[in-house]
Amino acid sequence: MDATKTLHFDSEPYDAIINANKNNPGALLTVLEEAQKITPHQYLPEPVLRHIAERMNVPLSRINSIVTFYSFFNLKPQGDHTITVCRGTACHTRGSKTLLEDVLLKLGIDAKSTNASSFTTDDMRFTVRTVACFGQCALAPVIAVDEVIYSNMTSEKLEALLKKLTARRPKS
Amino acid sequence: MNELLNSLTIQGRESLSPKTVSIAVGMGTCGIGNGADQLYDAFAKAIEEKKLAISLRKVGCMGYCAAEPLVNVYIPGKPLLVLHRVMKRDVSVILRSLEKQSIPKRLILCKISCWDHHSSISTFGEGYPDVIEWNEVAFFRRQKKMILRNAGLIDPESIAESLAVGGYSAFFKAVTTMKSEQVIDEVKTAKLRGRGGAGFSTGIKWELLRKASGDKKYIICNADEGDPGAYMNRNEIESDPHSLIEGMLIGAYAMGASEGIIYIRAEYPLAVERLTKAIDQARSAGLLGKEISGTSFRFDLSIVKGAGAFVCGEETSLMASIEGFSGRARPRPPFPAQKGYLGYPTNINNVETWCNVPIIIGKGSAWFIKTGTDKSPGTKVFSLVGKVKNTGLVELPLGEPLSTLVYEIGGGAPGREKRIKAVQSGGPSGGCIPADKFDTPVDYESLAEIGAIMGSGGMVVLDQDNCMVDTARYFIEFTRNESCGKCVPCREGLAQELELLNRIVQGTGTEEELELMERLGQSISDSALCGFGQTAPNPVLTTLKYFRKEYEEHIHRKHCSGGICEALFDALCVNSCPMHMNIPAYLEMLKENRLEEAFESTIRDNPLPGTIGRICHFHCQMRCRRETVDEPVHQGEIHRYLADTMYKMGREQQIYDILIKEKLPATGKKIAIVGAGPAGLTAAFYLVRLGHEVVIYDANPKAGGVLRYGIPAYRLPREILDKELQLFKKLQVKFIFNKRLGTDIHLEQLKAQYDAVLLAIGAYEHIDLSIPGAELKQVVQGTEFLDNLEKKRPVKVGKHVVIIGGGNVAIDAARSLWRLGASVTVVYRRSKDAMPANKLEIEEAEAEGIKFVFFAAPLSIKADRKQSVRALEIMEMEGGTFDTSGRRRPVETGKTRDIECDMIVIAAGEKVDSGLLERQKVATTKRGTACVDSYTYHTGTDKVYGAGDTVSGPSTAAEAMGLAREAAASIDVDLMGIKRFDKLFKEFSFSHEPPKEIVMTKQTTTRHLDVDSRKGNFEEINKGYMGDQARIEATRCLRCDIRLAGRG
Repeated sequence: MDATKTLHFDSEPYDAIINANKNNPGALLTVLEEAQKITPHQYLPEPVLRHIAERMNVPLSRINSIVTFYSFFNLKPQGDHTITVCRGTACHTRGSKTLLEDVLLKLGIDAKSTNASSFTTDDMRFTVRTVACFGQCALAPVIAVDEVIYSNMTSEKLEALLKKLTARRPKS
Repeated sequence: MNELLNSLTIQGRESLSPKTVSIAVGMGTCGIGNGADQLYDAFAKAIEEKKLAISLRKVGCMGYCAAEPLVNVYIPGKPLLVLHRVMKRDVSVILRSLEKQSIPKRLILCKISCWDHHSSISTFGEGYPDVIEWNEVAFFRRQKKMILRNAGLIDPESIAESLAVGGYSAFFKAVTTMKSEQVIDEVKTAKLRGRGGAGFSTGIKWELLRKASGDKKYIICNADEGDPGAYMNRNEIESDPHSLIEGMLIGAYAMGASEGIIYIRAEYPLAVERLTKAIDQARSAGLLGKEISGTSFRFDLSIVKGAGAFVCGEETSLMASIEGFSGRARPRPPFPAQKGYLGYPTNINNVETWCNVPIIIGKGSAWFIKTGTDKSPGTKVFSLVGKVKNTGLVELPLGEPLSTLVYEIGGGAPGREKRIKAVQSGGPSGGCIPADKFDTPVDYESLAEIGAIMGSGGMVVLDQDNCMVDTARYFIEFTRNESCGKCVPCREGLAQELELLNRIVQGTGTEEELELMERLGQSISDSALCGFGQTAPNPVLTTLKYFRKEYEEHIHRKHCSGGICEALFDALCVNSCPMHMNIPAYLEMLKENRLEEAFESTIRDNPLPGTIGRICHFHCQMRCRRETVDEPVHQGEIHRYLADTMYKMGREQQIYDILIKEKLPATGKKIAIVGAGPAGLTAAFYLVRLGHEVVIYDANPKAGGVLRYGIPAYRLPREILDKELQLFKKLQVKFIFNKRLGTDIHLEQLKAQYDAVLLAIGAYEHIDLSIPGAELKQVVQGTEFLDNLEKKRPVKVGKHVVIIGGGNVAIDAARSLWRLGASVTVVYRRSKDAMPANKLEIEEAEAEGIKFVFFAAPLSIKADRKQSVRALEIMEMEGGTFDTSGRRRPVETGKTRDIECDMIVIAAGEKVDSGLLERQKVATTKRGTACVDSYTYHTGTDKVYGAGDTVSGPSTAAEAMGLAREAAASIDVDLMGIKRFDKLFKEFSFSHEPPKEIVMTKQTTTRHLDVDSRKGNFEEINKGYMGDQARIEATRCLRCDIRLAGRG
């Protein structure tokens, strides 16, 4: 087994989440969501999943089924900044596909070689992902950077935004 | 009501109509996305700093997203003012002007004097006579705010304000005065139908749960609004969460449920936040929990957040998700009412369905069914997005036609002269409705009849720049990704469907695959396990039904008219040019000072570059990437410059020599072309170079067709046309003039003499306007007038001339007559925007002092005693409802009047002379055009082909030439048995460097002859570019033909 899979981690905050949701029948999803939130780089490492399975007394296979089913869960560490391109219908009709391609191109991500739904730069600074719809359709196309929404985007506006972001100092 | 609620209500009334000036910022997610949060902070800071006695609040969203951020300003005793597009910099302006009690006009959208919350009425006050009421704004006029009755007016985070406008009053009415069965009966007689999509009767569904046995029952609100393009539920929750809670309370009481769950998508953080707050407030106020308001009724609510899976909107998947599993569908029956959440009887309704309940109980079902249609009463909230000017949330009575939604409320397409093509309704389970079906009423049955569904109310408008194949592909990719994977038809079927669609957008699909796609879609519909899979093929099935031609164009012509499927073209402008001129090539070669080659590239694609560069509609500019920065590149002016410069320098001959030299060896085939207009000339240019012997017949004494006998010389000097016609003679095209088809020559005879005959007779027949007096001597047809002018026949010009019509012929005739000294008035029955004439031409006509009378329909022509025209009697019209062309129907007002004149020109439109075609035994279409195969241009009569307006009906010269080019290629294949057409073109090598830096610059304008110098002559107005101007304009091209790695 890979060393990282048995890696020790501070289980206390995770236990707190599990205890708080114990009596709720649908707690598993909430626990997983909150566990992801408190994990650095916003993802669910395998040791955490194993821990939750054990403590909540559910098979790991069921947890695995959930975290691979819902797009909210990340199984890989996320970048410092998350750029989310909306791929809703209104955004699509107003050119969001081109925006997505532009973001990937500008950040030097080769999206064609993989089938992944999100992409993270090697330096861990940016993650690019898509969302089915933000419900911001009237302002299409929209993208979000760390949950702040930018509306009526164009390739030119995007380029300026990325320039500003890349100029920021990376998180240490 | 208890004391706590009473005091909350009073508190709410005070904050809603305070004694001081009050400002409220619309803070839905969309408002915030437009800067409403920063705007709110700026107001707060300024009010604090200046210690102003102004109350500041946050409210929800009124739904007019395109005009956000919206701000309400209330001065006690006066109407509420709604301000739009308020920027941070406006804050100080607004505060300052409030001191003087006047707001800058540019910021004011409308006023609200009185508002019906249906559970109460807010009367704000009287005043602002110059400001229009909210329901006079085009976006709101046809709306009926029932669900969104509080949105944008109350603070969604304040239960006090909700109570103050009558929130929870319907619940109290139900719980204190009605038995639970009575509540269900009321919902049943209101004929409320599920607003989530399927439209099932809510009352029946409720009754099922009511009758189900079980010690515990659940009700669930489906707020997993996953339909991309729909966001009404988000706003309903964000703007008025208490209405949802109230609806569920009433439902719980009626069905006997004690617990409720709201399943909401995590992508809506603000909605989750506001709903959580609202539930807490309701609980604190004793509206949730045990012994609600002193009764024995108990009910509580909790929230479960979805984690991003579209399929969880399907009810069985949704319940699996709440139970903490992957959201996979379960077979029905058992239905949720029998065995639902955790095995207990359960009812699931959509957010908007719940929100309808307080209205029905509060106002009664008899009141409710007055709105909407008999089978679908009430309203529906639609999210109107995509290619319309006024995007936003629209609440309309059910049964209104789609045209009202798209054109009247949406304001039509946002782009310059863009045409709306379709509406995609109902999200991934819905369908695409073509524009010619926009008179369809929006209700459950009517939409289902045309293959679409209402769904949750997402209406995504598509215009000519969208590709229907791409749209279908987009949805199938979406549903393929979102399929839960449980059943084979959905999991595998959609993957295969996507594969087939991918082949079409790549240009590798086949006609047989279209059939396969249809069969596959049908089998998925028939055999998938749940509603998700059963409806997933709808986007493919409806686009195949209504837009099959677009699929076929991708397959046969390798062309995507929307300019979306990038595998099929290089640059957008080339794709939209009907002749597919290689625009980047000539722009770049001009920049590189390779004038001759640039001209050579131009002329290979377009044998009349100087002519078309003057009169084109410039399809290229309709789709120029540069437009996203500032303005499109004027590609057409540049090829005109190339041609003019070459002719001026006398260097065209060397390029002509190249073309003459490379003519393919004589084939011995003889081709007759009937018509020497743009289409006939273009076909001749290619066919003669392919080695065929080409003879053009024309009824006129000279070549050019409409270019000579229709377009006045001030737009197209005859020297240019004559110059460009020399090329045809040099290539040995033979012209036979003064021979009219049907009189001097006959098709039978041509067929006997030639190996192929191409009909390119244009669309010259005028559309009759049969009004009394049309037979008078001073009444002429527009086309005949222009023809006479060119042929120098004596034309008697009146002093006061009226032109009837709104097309290019009308404007050409008007401007010609003005040049001849007449005072000219153009009379048109619709509005100015609805005129089909070229917009630039209309502007020029106005500059020349030509008068326009809009909304005037001709009734009769009046004569004096000498039988000379005295006046045109018109009926004054007004704009009625929108027709399927997106224009208002002219409606008679009953008022008539005379416009005095002594000459009348009728230019009501042209058509193909179908009688002539029929007499020549050529089959015609319903529109009167020659019936040809779309890709071979063969008429079905042996050896006979058609091109140009003859097959398309009146269109632009470039479009006619584009068709002729394809027809020529097809004729050559038929005559020679092999494809040789590509031999006529040449690859030029030129730089492939995109511009490094983009500096905002407007389109370079050409020099124009000033208006005063135009009178009494036909001198050309547009003088074209000078050398450096053309080069500057060429450098504005962004070179979108260059595909960067990662694109494509």
